Formats: sequence, C-alpha cells, structure tokens
Amino acid sequence: MASNFNNPVFPSLPNDIPLPLPTGGMDVLLVPVFHILLVVSFLVHIVFINVLLGSSVLSVINNWIGHLRGDKNYDRVAYLLTTPVTISENMGALWGVAPLLIVSVMYTAFFYSASVMNSPQWLHIIWGNVVAFLTSYLYKFSWHKLENSKALHITIGAIAAILFLSLPPVFMSTVQLYITPSSWAPNTHFWDVVTRPDVIFRLAHFYLGAFAVNGMFMLLYGVYKRDKGQDLEAAKILIRQGKAWFVVPTVLNLFVGTLAFFQFPNYGIEAFYSNGFVIFIIISVFSVLVALGMLIKEFLNDSIPTKVVYISALFLLVTLGSMGITRHGMRISLLEPAIAQMQKQTQEYITAVQKDYEEAKSKPSVVDVAEASHLSEGEKLIAKNGCTACHSKEQKLVGPSFKEISIRGYTAEKIVSLIYNPEPSNWPEYSPMPPMANVPKEEAMKIAQWISNLK
Amino acid sequence: MIDYPVFEMPVLGHRLIFAIDAILHVLISHGAAVGGSVVLVLSQWWAIKNNDQKMYDLTYKILFVLFIAATAIGALTGIGIWIHANIIDPPAIGSLLRVFFWKWFVEWIVFNVELIFLLLWFLTWKQLGWEGRHKNIKFGIVYAIASWLTMVIITAILGFMLTPGNWLTSIFPTQPDYVASLFNPSWIPSLMFRTFFAIGFAAAVSMYWTWWFTKDDIQLRERAEKFFSKITLLSIPPTVLFGLWYYSQIPQEAKALMFVAGLTTKYVGHKEMLIFALLGAFALIMLAVFLFYVKPRGVPFVLASLMMVSYVFLVAEFERIREFVRKPYIVYGYMYAHGIRELDVAHLNNVGVLKYAQFVPVQYRTVTEENKVKVGEYLFKLECRVCHSVNGINAITKKVKGLDETAIYYRIGTLNSPATPFMPPFVGTDEERKALAAYLASLVQDKNTQVAKDNKGGQ
Ligand code: HEC
Ligand code: HEC
Repeated sequence: MASNFNNPVFPSLPNDIPLPLPTGGMDVLLVPVFHILLVVSFLVHIVFINVLLGSSVLSVINNWIGHLRGDKNYDRVAYLLTTPVTISENMGALWGVAPLLIVSVMYTAFFYSASVMNSPQWLHIIWGNVVAFLTSYLYKFSWHKLENSKALHITIGAIAAILFLSLPPVFMSTVQLYITPSSWAPNTHFWDVVTRPDVIFRLAHFYLGAFAVNGMFMLLYGVYKRDKGQDLEAAKILIRQGKAWFVVPTVLNLFVGTLAFFQFPNYGIEAFYSNGFVIFIIISVFSVLVALGMLIKEFLNDSIPTKVVYISALFLLVTLGSMGITRHGMRISLLEPAIAQMQKQTQEYITAVQKDYEEAKSKPSVVDVAEASHLSEGEKLIAKNGCTACHSKEQKLVGPSFKEISIRGYTAEKIVSLIYNPEPSNWPEYSPMPPMANVPKEEAMKIAQWISNLK
Repeated sequence: MIDYPVFEMPVLGHRLIFAIDAILHVLISHGAAVGGSVVLVLSQWWAIKNNDQKMYDLTYKILFVLFIAATAIGALTGIGIWIHANIIDPPAIGSLLRVFFWKWFVEWIVFNVELIFLLLWFLTWKQLGWEGRHKNIKFGIVYAIASWLTMVIITAILGFMLTPGNWLTSIFPTQPDYVASLFNPSWIPSLMFRTFFAIGFAAAVSMYWTWWFTKDDIQLRERAEKFFSKITLLSIPPTVLFGLWYYSQIPQEAKALMFVAGLTTKYVGHKEMLIFALLGAFALIMLAVFLFYVKPRGVPFVLASLMMVSYVFLVAEFERIREFVRKPYIVYGYMYAHGIRELDVAHLNNVGVLKYAQFVPVQYRTVTEENKVKVGEYLFKLECRVCHSVNGINAITKKVKGLDETAIYYRIGTLNSPATPFMPPFVGTDEERKALAAYLASLVQDKNTQVAKDNKGGQ
C-alpha cells in the first residue's frame, strides 16, 4: 500500500468516543488545563524515568569497577544509587499514569488504535516492568547477603538494568505511532513500527537524554553529600562521573536531536513552524549550551562550587521544560488535521445513528410482532423463551425440529424435565443443548404440551 | 470496536490475559495495600502499646513482603488493567474515562499520597528504629487512609459498570450525569464489602507469613497468630452483611447469570458443585482461622497454605462472577461487550458494520461470493473475539461443532436470546451474518475433513 506518511491523508481513522470531553461544557477553560497538565506531568514522569534508567546502569557499572579494583568507594557509590532507583521506579510509574489519563481522554482513538496495533508487545510495559521491578529489588535487598558472590550480584543488577532499558522501545513505538496516523494501514504492526527511522532516532535521542539527565542528578547528589560532609570519597566519584555523563551525551544529542526532528512527517514539520513552536527549540538549545559551558569550564575541578551546579541544573530544567513543549507542539501539529477529519466523520455517523434509532423505535419490536400475530400460544412461548435460537417447528436447526422431538412420544412432564436437564445422549448426532433454567415452570409445561401435540 | 484495529492473542485469548492481570491486582490491592496497611498499622500499634519489640520486628518483616508485592506487582497490574482494557475494548474504556476522568484524576492524586507515605513508612522504619516508633507509625496511618480512599473511588467506577443507574440525561447527543454516575446504587455496599473482606484477607496473609517468620520463636508465633486471627474473625460478620446488601443491588438479569458465570454452561446443571466449592473454601478458611485463634502452635503449615489457596479461589471466583454477570454488556444497558452501543444497533443493522471497519482491508469491506469466508473471519474478530478464541479458551470451534452453515446462520441470529443471554446480539446486515456463518462453518468443516484425512492416513 502506498504510504501517506508525509501527507495529511488518513485512510484508517476510527470514530471519536460519542461522549463529551469531561469539561462540564467549559471547554474554553478546561482544555488548556488539560494541555498544561499533560506537559507538566509527562515531564516529571520522564525525569524520574531518566534517573531510573541512568542510575540502574551506573549502579551496576560502579559495582563492577569496585569489584575489579577492590575499591570500597565505588561499591558505596553503586549502593547509594539504588535508593534513587527504588524511588524513581515507583514515582516514575505513578507519574506516567497522569499523562496516560489525559492522552486517553484527549486523543482517545489515536492512542488506543496505536496501542492495539502494537499488541501484544505493548503489554511488555506491564509484565516486563513487573519482572524488572522484582529483579531490581532483588539487587538492592541482596546487597549485603551477596557481598561475597559479586559476579552473581552484578549479573542480577545487569538483568534489571537491561529489562528497564527494554521498555522505552515499546513506549516510543506506540507514542510515535499514535501521533502519525498518516502511517496507519490495516496491517501495521509493532515490528514495522519499532524499526522505523523516526522511532529509532527518537529513541536514540531519548536514551542519550536519559543519561545526561541522570548525569546531572549524580552531580547534584554528589554535591549534596559533599556539602553535608557524608561519604566524601563516594561524593567525589559521583561528581566526576556526573559531569562526564552530562557533558558527553548532551553534546551528541545536539546532533541526534536535529536528525530526529527531521524524521517527522513533512506536513507536521510545516505546521510546527507555522504554529511558531520553533521558538521552544531555540530556547532549549540555548539554555543547554549555557549549562554545558558552565560544566565544561569546571570539568576538571573536583571542588566545583555548589552554586555553579545549581545554576547549570536550572538551565537544564529550562531545556527540559521547553523540550516538553516542543514535543507537545509536534503532537498538536501532527494531529490537528486528523482530529478535524475524525470530528467530521463522527458527526456524520451520529446523525445517521440517530435517524435509524428513531425510525426503529417507532416500529414495533419482534416480540410485539409475535404477540400481535395469530401465532398459537406455544409458538409465542418458544419465541419468548429463546427456543427458536435452536429449534423450529418443522426444520432441523441447531437442535432437532419440534416435530421430530414429538415423534419420540415423551410425556409432557418428561419434556419439562428435559428442558431443565437435557439428556444429550438421546440425540448423539447433535451437540448438547444447554439447560434452560430461565423458563418459568408454567410456561415450560405449556410448551411441553404444545410439543407433544405436534405429532 | 468495529472501527478499531484488532490484535491477535494466540491461545490465551483476550479474556484470560485480562483476568490474570485483574485477579493479581485484586489479590494484592486488597491483601496488601488496602487490607494490609490497616492490619500492619494495627499490629505496629499493638506492639508499641505492649512494649513488644519482637512483634515490632515481625511487623517489619511482613511489611517488607507487602512493600514488594504492592509496589512491584500491585501498582503495575493496576496500570495494567487499563492497558489491557485499552487494547481489548477501546471504546469501553474510552467511554468510562470520559465519564470518570476527574474521579480518576483525584484517585491519582491520592495515589501520590499513598505511595509517598508507603515509601516513607517502609524506608524509614529501620532508620528510625524502636526509638522513632511513634513517628514511623504516623506514616503508616496516612498510608492506610490513602489506600482506602483509592478503593472508594475505584469501587464507584466498578459499581457504575454493573449498575449505572440513570446516568444519561440525554442520548442524542449523549450527555452523562456525572453526579448520578458516581452515586450508583451498588457503590457503598460494594465498597464496605470489599473493605472488610480486604482486612480479613490481609490478616490471613499476615498469619501465613508469621508462620514463616517465627519458626524459631514459638512464643512470638502464639501472640502474633492470635492477634491476626482475631482481626479476621471480627471482619467476617460485617463482610457477610455488606455482601448481602451488595447482592440485593445487582440487577435481576445479572443474578440469573450467576451460576453460568461460576460454572460455564456445561456444568450449569450442577449448581451444587459451585455451592459446595464456595462453601468448602469458606469452611476451610474458618477452620484455619479458628485454629490459629485457639491453638496457634498446633496449626500445620499445610492448613495455613490451604487457607491461602481458598482465599485466592474465593477472590478469583468472585471477580469472575462479577465480570460475567455484567454480560452481555460492558456498561450495563449502554454498551455491549463487543463495544457496540445499544443505540448503534439499528443503524449498523441497516448499513452493516463493515462500512465502518477502518482496519479491515478495503477489498474485504463488501461481501462477495468469493471473499465471504475471509470477510467472515474479520467479522468474527470484530464482534466475537473479545470472548471467544478460535481454538483456545472458549473456543468458537467447539461451540459450532457439528452444525452446518444454515444452522449456524440461525444461531447467530439469536445470540442474545434467553438461551444465551450473556452474549450480545450479532450486529450487521443479513449478508454479513451469512459471511460469518460461512467462516464459522469453514472452521469446523476443515476440521472434519482434516479428521477424515487423518483417519485414512492412520489406516
Ligand atoms: C442453544 C441451542 C438450543 C436452545 C436455545 C434450545 N435447545 Fe432444545 N435442543 C438443542 C439441541 C442441540 C438438542 C439435541 C441434543 C440434546 O438433547 O442435548 C435439543 C433437544 C431438545 C429436546 C429433546 C430432548 C431429548 O432428550 O430428546 C427438547 C424437548 C428441547 N430441546 C426443547 C427445547 C425448548 C423447549 C427450548 C426453549 C426453552 C430449547 N429446547 C432451547 C438445542 C437447543
Ligand atoms: C460477551 C462475551 C461474548 C461475545 C461477545 C460472544 N460470545 Fe458466544 N458465548 C459466550 C459465552 C460465555 C458462551 C458460553 C460458554 C460456556 O459454555 O460456558 C458462548 C457460547 C456461544 C455459542 C454456543 C451457544 C450454545 O448454543 O450453547 C455460540 C454458537 C457462540 N457463542 C457464538 C458467538 C458468535 C458467533 C459471536 C460473535 C458474533 C459471539 N458468540 C460473541 C460469550 C460471548
């Protein structure tokens, strides 16, 4: 099928949910609130996830270095990093719920369609996560028990880290798929999506960003420990590693980020520019360059002033905030025309549904027809009690015809008991009849008499 | 969900993967979070009151288990319920969200409080130690209250799905009444029922772990087991009372399905099996709890384990029945399990569902003599797949075995009849119904010829 990827053409779009947005009619007031909540909560989520990914990897690396060099200080750093892992895995999951809620209500049909196309792999974000959590707890809480079996312990930590790292590709595929409905086709599936260039570049951008943010976190953590006079040696390692992990990925990301941007569909990029969102890219780049400059200047200085660290962290925060808005801007730009098409087709659908609903309502229903017509009482009762799903008077359907049954010559009482407790062995060539416990006693009796009178 | 994509869940089928996630979540949210927080705060308080440091340490050990279970499995399977619903029944969860967004949002805020105080309670327990006990228990109390509040909100939503009450103020355009949907009739009784059940269950879980952790301190075991079993014993009468109230709020049609729900249609003639199984599990629990109370030393580990198994069985069976009796609906009286609203049926019967099947390839959106089996397969995916797999669980091949195409065609016309009231009607034009019949017939015919071939091969 020809790809529409770069054009705003949407051959497969479900209808919107035919219920109003939960704003109580105050769309003007509350829709902007949704947008703000979405950007802010997602940002918090991502910062936690960045620390989770970065710290679980760095805990394992430092554990290993400590083991190889027999240096307790690295071991200490590794252990210190398990607490932010515990906190950020829990808080990260929790703060993922708020954006999930808002996306599900604002972009319902887009997000759900993408989730379904990427399933069952999409479920990895639950079950893979459960296993990752359990493994990371095992790593943390077996620290002292496994002090003398480091190889095993490091392996456990590495498994946890790899499991956590395996979640973003699944997320990114779904996120990227739902904002690019121009790429949807009936056979779109996870493995096509996860190997698409737009997904791969965004993923690379994300991983680098995660290590950069975690680098800043380690730097802050190290400075905090140093200023409190605790774990001085470990603090020094945290500070050194933090700077390196911030600077190197950030520099790389300036290139990867640019490439990632141009992987989006052309019509989205054009709308992104004309909506003016480009200003947020400029702000992001500018403030991250400031942060970079400050830290590169102090790169070799172990006693980097606390103030410099805090200010560079603030600049990073500005970058994160405006990257968050950039991300949302791209989503808006890509979805605008698709939402317009969806609203239109949903409206047409509802109008047609209403027309047919009202017409059908003014016509008598099937049961009324049965009541009104001059059917015998027995025939009305078999319709009412659902026997006609499987039997007819003359013709073999799912079950034998009532004529055929009547030939067996049961008494009415016997038939009543067969209705409640069928004996499939009487009709070996048929599949068994379910017991029809719902039929009232008197009606069963009337039906039974009607059947026995058929022969 | 005729206009959404459909995913393949081989063997297990859609309902089972959902059930696994949901039951795990219920077990942990009741046994650990909601009930466990109350029970462990009580036991911490009791240890402080009696100056019993050993009991204090035991409480921490059980809290450790609770922490792992609640955060790694409970919380994630809770999000999992959504994710599974997203992919299995997108229009249903999408509709629920439109109605309950703010309630869920409030719930999320309460979740924050819950998680933060759980982290504080657990992570500072060792640091604060026995000296800091009065401070530490306060974290636990806040955690317990927040856990319970999350249940308050979620039971409103579950109650709504079964007993929505008069929740629509207008149907064209559909306009929900947000207040009425919250105060639906089964909310309060189901909340109270679950609360007391959770406390009793969590105390039983604590009994089980106490048994593990007190292998070399029989005196501690005696005190602790007696304490926890007293909680379970006290929780049973209110659980039963609120359970009866809850039961009285369930729609009559749903009650009529209870036995099919618990047993499947095959065994519904043997109602006594379900009653024996449920009463048996209940009796086992009572026996174990009672023994723990009167003679804590004498309870064998097997009995403690059987008590746990019985609890898991009761929870699973309860949730199964609760999910099933809502059938054929996903939102009672509004939306069917296959995601089609009652309101849509007339229109879709006129023009067909394929017209809107956005993810069915275009060449299969009109029925022809040549493509009808393939079209039927798509129709099966759109309307039956939520509940039936092809060959696995609740396999459709077993349901239509031995029927020819005409018989199947008739059967499809009356799916939502008193014989099988738990199934939604087939929605679509007569041609589409024929196509579905052709596909289903081809499934069993292929099999028959296959069997015939195999037999020949064997001889
Ligand atoms: C789901 C399909 C189905 C429905 C609905 C159904 N039947 Fe049957 N019925 C069968 C089949 C199949 C048989 C033959 C196999 C068997 O007896 O189990 C059968 C057999 C019977 C027999 C013969 C029993 C015997 O042992 O000889 C009677 C009488 C009967 N049905 C009455 C009824 C009545 C009355 C109703 C409505 C209240 C009803 N059935 C609804 C499928 C059905
Ligand atoms: C809400 C879930 C649900 C949906 C949707 C559903 N079914 Fe069923 N169906 C069931 C259950 C449950 C049974 C009975 C299983 C048992 O034996 O306990 C059943 C039984 C059946 C049977 C055997 C009934 C008998 O005569 O005893 C047939 C045939 C069938 N389904 C066909 C379909 C077809 C075709 C569709 C799609 C148009 C469909 N079902 C959609 C839940 C569903």
